[in-house]
Amino acid sequence: MVVTAVGPESPIRARQMSEPLSADFVVVGSGICGALAAMLLAQRGASVIMLEAGPRVGRAQLLANFRNSPRRSDWMSPYPFSPWAPHPVYLPEANEHLLQAGPYPYPAEYIRMVGGTTWHWAALAWRYLPSDLEMFSRYGVGVDWPFDYAQLEPYYQWAEELIGVAGAEEEHPESPRQKPYPMQPVAEPWAMRRIRERLDGTYRVANNPVARNSRTFGHRPACCGSNNCQPICPVDAQYHGGISVAAAEAAGVRLIANAVVYHLEHDDQDRIVAAHFHDPERNSYRITGNTFVVAANGIETPRLLLMSTSERFPNGIANSADTVGRYLMDHPSTSLTFDADEDLWLGRGPQSPSSISALRDGAFRAERSAYRLDFTNISRVDSTTRRLLQEGVYGAEFERRLRHSAAREMSVKTVLEVLPRPENRITLSGKKDALGLPRPQAHYAIDDYTRGGALDAKQHFTRIAQLMGGSNLRFTADDDFANNQHICGTVRIGDDPATSVCDSWGRTHDHDNLFLVGTGLLPTAGTCNSTLTAIAVALRSVDAMLPVAAPSAAGQGRS
Amino acid sequence: MDRDSPVTFSRRVVLAGLLTAYTASLIPWALAASAPDADRGSFLVLSALIAGREALDTDLAMRYYDALVKQDPLFPAAAGAVLALINQHQIDPLQLQAWLDESRPELAGVPRRVATAWFLGIVDTAEGARALAYEDALNAQIVSDVLQPPSYCHGGYGSWARKPDPGQTDV
Repeated sequence: MVVTAVGPESPIRARQMSEPLSADFVVVGSGICGALAAMLLAQRGASVIMLEAGPRVGRAQLLANFRNSPRRSDWMSPYPFSPWAPHPVYLPEANEHLLQAGPYPYPAEYIRMVGGTTWHWAALAWRYLPSDLEMFSRYGVGVDWPFDYAQLEPYYQWAEELIGVAGAEEEHPESPRQKPYPMQPVAEPWAMRRIRERLDGTYRVANNPVARNSRTFGHRPACCGSNNCQPICPVDAQYHGGISVAAAEAAGVRLIANAVVYHLEHDDQDRIVAAHFHDPERNSYRITGNTFVVAANGIETPRLLLMSTSERFPNGIANSADTVGRYLMDHPSTSLTFDADEDLWLGRGPQSPSSISALRDGAFRAERSAYRLDFTNISRVDSTTRRLLQEGVYGAEFERRLRHSAAREMSVKTVLEVLPRPENRITLSGKKDALGLPRPQAHYAIDDYTRGGALDAKQHFTRIAQLMGGSNLRFTADDDFANNQHICGTVRIGDDPATSVCDSWGRTHDHDNLFLVGTGLLPTAGTCNSTLTAIAVALRSVDAMLPVAAPSAAGQGRS
Repeated sequence: MDRDSPVTFSRRVVLAGLLTAYTASLIPWALAASAPDADRGSFLVLSALIAGREALDTDLAMRYYDALVKQDPLFPAAAGAVLALINQHQIDPLQLQAWLDESRPELAGVPRRVATAWFLGIVDTAEGARALAYEDALNAQIVSDVLQPPSYCHGGYGSWARKPDPGQTDV
């Protein structure tokens, strides 16, 4: 049975009411970006209070939730939503926290719990390509970032050292680096080795850079290959936001869980002076601070800004240019599944080890989407079992077919780029959640640019299947795009206040003392997941929130 | 319990009355005889046919059975009816679902419920689907020479880089 780790509790019941709710920095959200920013601010001497809408959870409970789940392939099933801080769930029935305005469904997933959404991720820790930050000047599409790759590079390194990234520099020349990865690549699963060897000469298959330990790092053990990176690494070999929160608290950050911020209050100089939050019983609290950092993810951050209306800001905080919530991006995926002509036995080792990067950049990006080709190493046992049950395969034949598919089935998917478009956006819906707060609504379309990339990939899918001696080829339908939960763009950075929410330091154009961190700041999506880049951007912003003495902030405050 | 006790003998008689030579040749009698009553005996026989195994974990079987009966008090009768049909029409397990879908749709849910219990360890209950087994579910057991159930360590660091060796311990 799936249970919440911690029931509702009054956020400040454990504290004396006389203790002032005030800090130098108030951080809203305790995900990987918010918690790391909070940790660094505390390490630099500031008082920091971090508010988290959801409850505290522990790894052991999440692991038990997974093993006891009747839907083990539903990675959200170990993460029940809290009535006072719902996140979207779609099974066994949808809770309709994120409403769909169409035209294309955007069934985003994220986690509102202490530690946030990286409790479950594949821990891919890609850097963007330099061109990903210069899409408009190089290809005439999308937008340029307010800084270039070289300016972000030291912060990438810092982020990689904070969270522990394993990779091989020579495998990733596409994203240049000044210093080596903190760890050697994680041992390559047998299945990925065979794919690499059989595609050699046509495609270069490389180990993904991952926030997964290939040796003891950060007092956490090396990967033990339990093939459960998603939904929960059972041994913390993989970095996640819960680890960031523990480090933040160790640095002196005060965490208040079950604190649902619903309003940011400004003064007549347009500075933010307070955040208002509810506890699970809908009691209200007001917390003051000198600087506010909203780190509530690519959907909940714009939701909070849009909810925070006033006479002066009728469209919400940081939204004088009507940019909050716009330019929503993610990574749609198409895929090919087939049976190889040799036994590979996916499911030994980590889940997402290898990719082809050759199609992530090129002049074609003026016309259609780039993409990464990603090979899964997720065990086929659960999915095959469910398929065979659906087909009514019983008796000895079940065992034969299960072993066949578990050994032979493999899959490759695209990770497609989406361009920033103002009409793809998060808005407030007319429906309310249990606390009476408007639920977010997604407006999303997959345009011809992205579809062009998907069509181009089919030839490569077919070629890969040929090279693997594939049979029983199963392509996803042309209009069937899976989502990757890389929510980007909704509070993007930029130099022009008319087309962005924050400046290059994550400071909102409208409010001097309001910073945003998280994947929502990324102005382009590229072809890799957004977490590492969001952390790097957040670390760069911390240098603006609370500078330290020269030379460079990068290198300070490593845990 | 003493296998030759009169109680066991009478269960055998009851079960035998259900079966013809066709089914009798397929079922593991020792397994069926371990059941404390005829309904559970029938469930074990049906389970053995659907799972394609002669040996089943009888403790797990009783947990599955109890959960299935709790959800549907008519389950024992339906399971017995399916077993009788298999017997009467000599239905191969591989054809069973299609046969019931076509000819006896009111019983078509029975084998899938039994199969879902054994292969996935999952049974529907009034509170929704419940996992009664994970590591011991047959889909984990069937591949246990090569794969650990996800969330269990494969082995020492890097053990997954080696070529799988089915039939051997792979750690």
